[in-house]
Amino acid sequence: MGLLAFKDAVHLVSRTGLGAEWDMIKQLEGRSQEDAVNWVLHSAASGLRPTPRMTPWLKLEPMRLNDMKTRNSAWSISQREGKLLQAWWVEQMLATHTPFIERMTLFWHNHFTSSIQKTLQPSLLYQQNLLLRRHATGNFAELLRAMARDPAMLVYLDGYQNTKSQPNENFARELLELFTIGRGQYRESDVKAAAKAFTGWGVDNNTGKFIIRPEEHASDSVTFLGKTGRFTGDDIIKILLEHPRTAERLTEKFWLEFVSNRPDPALVSVWAQQLRKSHYDIQRFMRTLLTSEPFWALQNRGTLVKSPVELVIGTLRTLPYPRESTQELLNLCRLLGQELFDPPNVKGWSGGEHWISTQTLLVRNAYLSKLSRGDLNDKSAAGVKLPNASEEQLVEWLLPVKPLQPLPTTPGARRLVRSLLLDPAFQVS
Amino acid sequence: MNRREFLGMAALLPWLSALPAEVLAAAPRPQQRILVLVKLAGGNDGLNTLVPYTDPLYYQARPTLGIPKHQVLDIGESYGLNPYLKVLKPWWDKGNMAWVQGVGYPQGSLSHFRSLDIWETAVDASNYSDTGWLGALLPGCKPGLHGIAIGDSAVPITGKNCNTIAMQSPQSFLSQISLLEDIQPVTTNSVLAHLTNVHHQLYAAGEQLSKKLQHPAALGVNFSSSGFGRELESVAKMILTGVDATVYMVTLDGFDTHSNQAGVQSNLLYQLAGGLDSFAQAMQRGGRWNDVMLMTYSEFGRRVQENHAKGTDHGTASVQLVMGGKVRGGIYGDKPDLSHLDGEGNLSHSVDFRKVYGTVAQQWLRQANPWKPFGTLPFV
Repeated sequence: MGLLAFKDAVHLVSRTGLGAEWDMIKQLEGRSQEDAVNWVLHSAASGLRPTPRMTPWLKLEPMRLNDMKTRNSAWSISQREGKLLQAWWVEQMLATHTPFIERMTLFWHNHFTSSIQKTLQPSLLYQQNLLLRRHATGNFAELLRAMARDPAMLVYLDGYQNTKSQPNENFARELLELFTIGRGQYRESDVKAAAKAFTGWGVDNNTGKFIIRPEEHASDSVTFLGKTGRFTGDDIIKILLEHPRTAERLTEKFWLEFVSNRPDPALVSVWAQQLRKSHYDIQRFMRTLLTSEPFWALQNRGTLVKSPVELVIGTLRTLPYPRESTQELLNLCRLLGQELFDPPNVKGWSGGEHWISTQTLLVRNAYLSKLSRGDLNDKSAAGVKLPNASEEQLVEWLLPVKPLQPLPTTPGARRLVRSLLLDPAFQVS
Repeated sequence: MNRREFLGMAALLPWLSALPAEVLAAAPRPQQRILVLVKLAGGNDGLNTLVPYTDPLYYQARPTLGIPKHQVLDIGESYGLNPYLKVLKPWWDKGNMAWVQGVGYPQGSLSHFRSLDIWETAVDASNYSDTGWLGALLPGCKPGLHGIAIGDSAVPITGKNCNTIAMQSPQSFLSQISLLEDIQPVTTNSVLAHLTNVHHQLYAAGEQLSKKLQHPAALGVNFSSSGFGRELESVAKMILTGVDATVYMVTLDGFDTHSNQAGVQSNLLYQLAGGLDSFAQAMQRGGRWNDVMLMTYSEFGRRVQENHAKGTDHGTASVQLVMGGKVRGGIYGDKPDLSHLDGEGNLSHSVDFRKVYGTVAQQWLRQANPWKPFGTLPFV
């Protein structure tokens, strides 16, 4: 395995992190591929920004059962604190030294979606975010079991209302359709059976923590995906983890996030088998992915669209331009279609080409244009200090493919960088 | 056969291309039809908009909120308009106004977010889609610019190949678009192909729009200076200046009337009526009233029984208002049956909202109807 050239180091950093940070790239340039990938996978996670003040479940939940005025005030609290929570993550993403952890946490947030709008419980979403972080590069089987017990998830998909006398199928349905095996692999009767197995799983009103209420659990025998028994929720999860489609769908999702817009079915099937055999070891899986031929292949560069978070936050981590207020960054992400802690629906953000429409491109372009404006002839304007590098290297730093527009003929790094930011190729990685 | 199909055939049939170019160019091209969507965000109370004032159950359920018989604007068939819609009455009398009542869908969601999603993407309550209901339809109507939304909300006209522009105001759009340079689409890979194609479309739309927006047509009609009035005024200007979009979208927010509904809803309906009236007048003066259809929608109606805070909680079926020079005036859909409510105390729907959409698609935009099984209504 060869040593990483500058542009390969750029590729690894921008695909696994948020932006293409010069210092990180310089650290990895010249290392072996294996060494560089290990560095990404094993860096100790940065500390977290201070926890925003949020009203606990215990206080907020009873307010909802009260009169209209108290209910309205519970709603206002949830909106206000939801914004604080969004700001917290944005600031964490701006400050972290381990952006890979943020990327993985965001990946899981988009797999196991939950929203502050449906739950109206920002503190639960915060707890869920911590959970996703803990398991970010850990073990998917453990993560899945933990998510099925996560209070935000139990509220988001109505699991906490799933009882023996009144089964609620919402969580069971999404567990099958979105979190594991996917459509076409099960029937309605499997959804009903799974819902039954999870009856009694809820949130303790006194503590806001997960609880199993045996008296609400339907313990009769059911048939789920061809197996019959008196199943608990964990039994259902076990069966789903043994199903080949679970690992395959997860592998496809990882491919679309990190490799290219066209998963290779043969390789997906091989990686999925390895994933299942490793009992869903995510770190080992990511090593396979990041050291694979398709990950590094030149024809796959520039085939992933930068998400709004990558574009808005990643560009700020890459270039030393003065940044907008956190509220304005959140507003930009919203206009670009990605509100943290508030995905559009339970399927999450579709990503890829869906990020790009005439609407969003206008805002993307305006943001980058505003960010990079200023006196382009002034070398040291207001703290904007660009790396001392050749023109060729600046191009390789900021674009994954050759520029689509001609470069400016007037020399000067600031002018060149602005032109690269406004090149359509800057939208991809 | 429309013009596009005709030209497509011309390429296949060599003898057709021997015809002089003028003959082809003269193929009848109807004036572009336009749809203006008016989103009433928050869930508008249908029962207090189009009031079933002869139904005693209405007054039973609405002891404080019921609009007294002597205040409603009688429009016949035992319905009355909310008195704050007064300026729209002449359009009703002219036969340019249709009401569709009892519009909803099975298993109505009581969540703003989810129900709006369902309305805007035209899916069943258990499905999800990334594409707005017009997002897949509009690219078939014409090339170029498809939709313009004023405000942030543009989901109905969102789709991968739907060229939509969302603007806070024409002014902010002009400043944003001036920052964009044109690019020729590339084929390096499919992602860059999509990206550069969208970029090019955006530039072209921007060119057209900025040229026109710099010299807007004079409307000769006064609009109210409320945000909503200004938004509709901008739309009217774009249409009469000859901006070439099929759908425009504006939003009036604040219909989530859990408490003290009367004052809030009256004020909103007053704004709505004023805006729509000015807009209709402007279209009539500009000679485009026959090419325009206005349609309101809201994520849901409200609970039949008023609550203890003189408001109403989230409900299901509600009313949609449709206006236009070619609209067939009248009331469509069944009278809301207040004696048969669902478990939550909500109305059952008698018209699936996709029946309304299908009518718009087929009868107005002249496209294949993606919601055929729901049928159509004769309001246009």
